[in-house]
Amino acid sequence: MDFSRVRLDTEQQEFLAEVRAFVAEHVTGEVLEEERRTGSGFNERVHLALGEKGWIMPAWPADRGGAGLDPVRVHLLDLLTRRSGMPTVTLGTTRLVVKAVERYAEPGLAADVLPRIAAGTARCCLGYTEPDGGSDIAAAKTRAVRDGDEWVINGSKIFTTGAQNCQYAFLITRTDPELAKHRGLTMFLVPLGSDGVEIQGIRTFGGERTNIVYYSDVRISDRYRLGGMNDGWTVLRGPLDEEHNFGQKGSAVQIGGTSLGATYVYPLERALDSALTWVCTTTRRDGSRPVDDRSVLYRLGQVAIDMQAGQVTPGPMGRVKASDALVHGAAELMDLVGPAALLSESGPGAEAAGAIEFAHRFAQGTATYGGTVEIFRQMIAQHVLGLPRPAYPGSKVLVSNFR
Amino acid sequence: MDEFELRYADYSLSSDQEAVRDAFNEFFRNECPSERVRAAEPLGHDEKLWRQLADMGAASMGLPERAGGDGAALVDLMLVAEEAGAALAPVPFVEHVAASRALADAAAGRAPDGWLADAASGRRILALAMEPAGTGLAGTGARQLVPGGAVARGVLALDGDALVLVEADEPPSPVANQGSTPLAWWNLADGRRQRLAEGPSAEALYRRARAEWKLLTAAALTGLTERALGIAVEFAKTRETMGVPIGSLQGVSFPLADVAIGVSGARNMIRRAGWMLEHEPAEARPLVPAAFAYAARVATHGTTTAAHMQGGLGFTIEADASLYFLRAKGWSLLGGDPAEDVIAVADALAAGYR
Repeated sequence: MDFSRVRLDTEQQEFLAEVRAFVAEHVTGEVLEEERRTGSGFNERVHLALGEKGWIMPAWPADRGGAGLDPVRVHLLDLLTRRSGMPTVTLGTTRLVVKAVERYAEPGLAADVLPRIAAGTARCCLGYTEPDGGSDIAAAKTRAVRDGDEWVINGSKIFTTGAQNCQYAFLITRTDPELAKHRGLTMFLVPLGSDGVEIQGIRTFGGERTNIVYYSDVRISDRYRLGGMNDGWTVLRGPLDEEHNFGQKGSAVQIGGTSLGATYVYPLERALDSALTWVCTTTRRDGSRPVDDRSVLYRLGQVAIDMQAGQVTPGPMGRVKASDALVHGAAELMDLVGPAALLSESGPGAEAAGAIEFAHRFAQGTATYGGTVEIFRQMIAQHVLGLPRPAYPGSKVLVSNFR
Repeated sequence: MDEFELRYADYSLSSDQEAVRDAFNEFFRNECPSERVRAAEPLGHDEKLWRQLADMGAASMGLPERAGGDGAALVDLMLVAEEAGAALAPVPFVEHVAASRALADAAAGRAPDGWLADAASGRRILALAMEPAGTGLAGTGARQLVPGGAVARGVLALDGDALVLVEADEPPSPVANQGSTPLAWWNLADGRRQRLAEGPSAEALYRRARAEWKLLTAAALTGLTERALGIAVEFAKTRETMGVPIGSLQGVSFPLADVAIGVSGARNMIRRAGWMLEHEPAEARPLVPAAFAYAARVATHGTTTAAHMQGGLGFTIEADASLYFLRAKGWSLLGGDPAEDVIAVADALAAGYR
């Protein structure tokens, strides 16, 4: 057990200053305003600047385009860039795909793509969910059919966030509908510039832009296949499982938290900060401040407690807790501030409430990202509590017919 | 606490701590099956079990070496409390440890006759008055319901600006209660009284003892909830409906998953709070009440879910789940309305904005 402050040595302090200077120079008010407007989760200038620093893959050695950072520096970089509000969605999906490319791409493809990823000129998005499939990724119907040295892909994927700014989609396809549900799948790194790829924007009420991507007779070379034919589930799960186990018990130095939903807590922190400022600086007509009211303190206290729980609840349990804390906490803070909380960030009188208004909208997406909270509750029931798996007709076999 | 501050988040136990946890886990599993919990009702005290526990060093381990103890850290004592809670052990471990640590700190200058040695051996049980004397409900005067008070020979209390030890030759009569814990009314103005400390140091000692009581109780509640969850999970694996185990139904498994989420979070919260109270008390101000309030909420929700998971069976007194349900409230209310802890969290956070 150890919760002490990490003592930074002189070089780490210098690194901290370097990151602060980077953030001040690149994550400008203009960048933040653009992100609020577009919700794209990406800014090309910032991304290329990160690449120049070697900070897209910061732990990689310099000769691979990284910066050779140790885990403490990587964590510092992550903390400060996130705190600055820097758009990180495409950065995150790209890093997730890197692991699969490193492990499964044929050497020529890896040698071509990985240096460009590190430099920032190649970005990757996730082609997992289908319009009628939801979180059940293994039910994918998008077809890939072999034709000589090529594959022909037909189908559609939804929530391919960042596709409009990416060069590659990490795509899960059905290559053998006769095999069991999880066995007939193959992964590809599809160049998004290919003929037959059509990207259509979708907006969420959380302010984000995501996409539906149509694949119509898209022909790609077999070199873009990742891993074996019909071995797609292993290729997809590998990086995910690695991600889920990262920093859990057994790791010598764990910094930050172990909650898989730790980043969902950030908007709630900002909202709670706004609410605390509001209750302490607002004066009611009778001269009292909301902070003098014990019912106000009680409500703030509950939000703060659930926020803490979201930060410290470990692993997949933390993913559910953090999302629930944000969803319920943001709604409670809205009520607490009253009608002024409804005002948009730029409007007059909305000085304190913008972060709360945003958190309330943004929160709803976190209950779905990376698999809904229900998917995770099922994982917890089965794998943490050892409860029997539900017997549904489509849990192991494909039950629907398609071309 | 600034959550962007760079801190280690290492919740793991050292091999020594694992040994402590395992030893007490084994002890309670062997010595305290649910029959023994039932046999100790309604008082909620098993003197033989208490003696056995004290013989293992549980009463002395948290005292400083000069007071005959092992100088164990609060987080180590919380591991013992968690195991005691899981077994619903009818022993006043939490009360005695919280009060005797304060007594040892207060008595660094003036040692009350024989009390430290008796506290270390567990021969005389100590308890803690959970509110300053005379601040309770109107009409109660100096009387206060004291957790563990029905088996204690001494109660530590804050009276005005003094920390006092109130002694009795025999504990007052027990008062029957929902959680079958040894509660009793103590008249803090009566009996032999020794002043242990005055002024700010008295208040600091008292606050610290209360905080430790809360964290030890939170640890016991966390152990209690996890064991209740285990009972419900075993039932859900074997009980069938419409040809499938009920645990395969998401209407059953999801509520149980929510309890698992609560328990794992509460455990990390109390450990972080306990570590912080020991190492950086100023930072612990919002953490201790948060950990207690969360553990109390998780216990109420978790034991409600666990009992209900067995349907009508879980509602019967034969079901062990009922023992857990009754103690979840029975323990978490002893220190007052947990809403006061929720308010204390916000109060501590708002201090940085006023």
